[in-house]
Amino acid sequence: MEVMLTVEGLEKAFKDKQVLKRISFDVRKGEIMAILGPNGAGKSTTIRNIMGIMYPDAGSITFHHHNGKDIPRNKIGYLPEERGLYKNVKVMDILLYLAELKDYPLDKAKERALMYLKKFDLEGKEKVSIEELSKGMGQKVQFISSIIHEPELLILDEPFSGLDPVSQELFKEEIRNLANNGTAILLSSHQMNLVEEMCDRLFMIQRGQKVIYGTLDEVKTEYANFKCTIHGKNQINDLERIPQVLRVEHEDDRSILYLDKDVEPTSWLKNLPESIQIQELKINRISLHEIFIDIATDKNLIQEEGEVLA
Amino acid sequence: MRNSMKIAKWEVKRNMKNKTFIVGLFLTPIIIVAFMFIGTLFGDDTEEPEQTMVFVNDQLDIFPILQEAINQSGYNWEMHVTDIEESEVNAELDGSENTAYIFIDDRALETSTVPVYMSEEINQFFINQVQILESPIKTMQMAELGISDEELAIVSSSIVFEDASMEETATEETAPSDAESSTESLERMIPGAFAGFIMISIVFTGMAIFQSASQEKKDKIAEIILSSVTPAELMQGKIIGYFVLGIIQTIVSIVIVLPVLAWRIDFPIMEYLFVPELALLIGIAILGYLLFASIFVGIGATMSDISTAGNFQGLVMMLPFLPFVFIGPVLSDPSGLWAQIGTYVPFTSPGVLLLRLTVLEEWPWVEIAISLAILIVSIWIFMKLAGKIFKVGILMYGKNATPGEIWKWIRA
Repeated sequence: MEVMLTVEGLEKAFKDKQVLKRISFDVRKGEIMAILGPNGAGKSTTIRNIMGIMYPDAGSITFHHHNGKDIPRNKIGYLPEERGLYKNVKVMDILLYLAELKDYPLDKAKERALMYLKKFDLEGKEKVSIEELSKGMGQKVQFISSIIHEPELLILDEPFSGLDPVSQELFKEEIRNLANNGTAILLSSHQMNLVEEMCDRLFMIQRGQKVIYGTLDEVKTEYANFKCTIHGKNQINDLERIPQVLRVEHEDDRSILYLDKDVEPTSWLKNLPESIQIQELKINRISLHEIFIDIATDKNLIQEEGEVLA
Repeated sequence: MRNSMKIAKWEVKRNMKNKTFIVGLFLTPIIIVAFMFIGTLFGDDTEEPEQTMVFVNDQLDIFPILQEAINQSGYNWEMHVTDIEESEVNAELDGSENTAYIFIDDRALETSTVPVYMSEEINQFFINQVQILESPIKTMQMAELGISDEELAIVSSSIVFEDASMEETATEETAPSDAESSTESLERMIPGAFAGFIMISIVFTGMAIFQSASQEKKDKIAEIILSSVTPAELMQGKIIGYFVLGIIQTIVSIVIVLPVLAWRIDFPIMEYLFVPELALLIGIAILGYLLFASIFVGIGATMSDISTAGNFQGLVMMLPFLPFVFIGPVLSDPSGLWAQIGTYVPFTSPGVLLLRLTVLEEWPWVEIAISLAILIVSIWIFMKLAGKIFKVGILMYGKNATPGEIWKWIRA
């Protein structure tokens, strides 16, 4: 796949605090690349540096298919985290204004605006003033404004925040569509379930540093080991003695056993000691959500800085 | 620059579609016209005081002569002959307004006194006005004394003290040129006042930049806009856009106010308005706008909301009013120290310069040049500073920047 954007060794400090440390990744045509991380990890800062809203202290940002040093603003769609629209302006007016700023032909913009308004259940709202829209409707208009000019690269900072599940689905579907049509998409989020369902690759960041970078499948095989949840009265020491158990979380009658990466679930289950009491047993992979929580809370589930190269 | 023009166009369009702006657009000149009318209403009041009723108890058959004297003087008196007794006058005056009783009888001829009874409410100048009756009575008095007409003419003519020194001719010569210079000063005044009006109009409209910048932060659209244009382009676009709005405001005001002015004032305004000097005066007005606009846009970007403006921001808002402090000193001495200080301080120089050029007969070209140079350099500096402040400030949500922070951005 063609690489659209390369970020290399990005560094940024606010006052004495280093908020980005050697951040490197790329975004390719037709893929959804997710930047994940807890609040304050540096997601928005990374994106703002890409957009030229902030300037990095070190590192380079390269837009391929573009000559010259400046940012090809007309080819990028951007939905910032802190977003809003002029209050006392009509929906169509603002969409056309933002398209005009991107040098997109107005007649085509109008056509696309109407098409997307219809798609997002906002048909007939083009002459309504922004302040009369609900928050969700406003977010849909913002989303339309970021894609109205058919960008080659779409950067979405927390696109799902504040949306109801129906709208979330709508957004998800549209983002997937755009990717399938060849748009390179970089999105940041902390809603793991959504990201897990849609992204091709992900970059997890914590305290300005890369924690995980790779395709979703790679990340899952690498980090999403099996875990076994057992309900029953057991001694923590007994459980820890079971082979291939890395770590045990014990709480009342419930124990979670984190298993080795190379574990074969069937043979492992066969080898369970008979002394263990089992009321209920569940074996599944650690979800992206749990990896995320672990990183955010510094449980060090991932012992060392992992790296999976895509 | 192309992006700046797009933003300027948008700002104009957005405001022109805004009801509040439209109302303000027409209300401003209408208020000016209204005040003009109120002014003339009060003016009429002082020019034409109420009529005074004057009753004359005439024992000497002098009434027709008195009547004629009053008619010639143009006093607004209504005179009547009465035969009321002096003892009844007080009762008669009680409760009446603007009324006076004059008793002309032998006392006038013998002791030269004429009793005048006035109501409590009466024109304050009445007792002065009544002096005009002195000469007809005096004439009669002398005629009674048996002075011949020739003698009478000599006695009643007043003595003129003629100034016979060398300057006499000189004053006679300057007299006509005095009149000339008064029309000249009007000629100067009109373009000056016009340019001053334009400046006030665009600077005040420009104050909305302030709100526009902070509103953009409040609505959180700044970052979306900045994904398409650079902060410098956004800032320039705003400055140009509000300049156009200011000009629209000026044109609307002129279209409404000028016909009224031309109708009220009997003076060929148009003839004196379009003189070459107007170009320089308008140039000064525009420079004034650019200076304040760059300050406003920078400061506007540091505030999250206009209602939370801190002392510092409030102080900056007051800058355009600074020239008003200089009006007094400059008018009393247009070339004095204060006028010169005002000319060289960038915040006051557009206003003070316009005022001085309006009042002064001879334009101090050197001072104008220095002051314009200072003004242009300060505009350049303030644009740069505003650009730095704007770039950081416009993306800072939820709080006002402190002067310390602003200083840091400027140094960055």
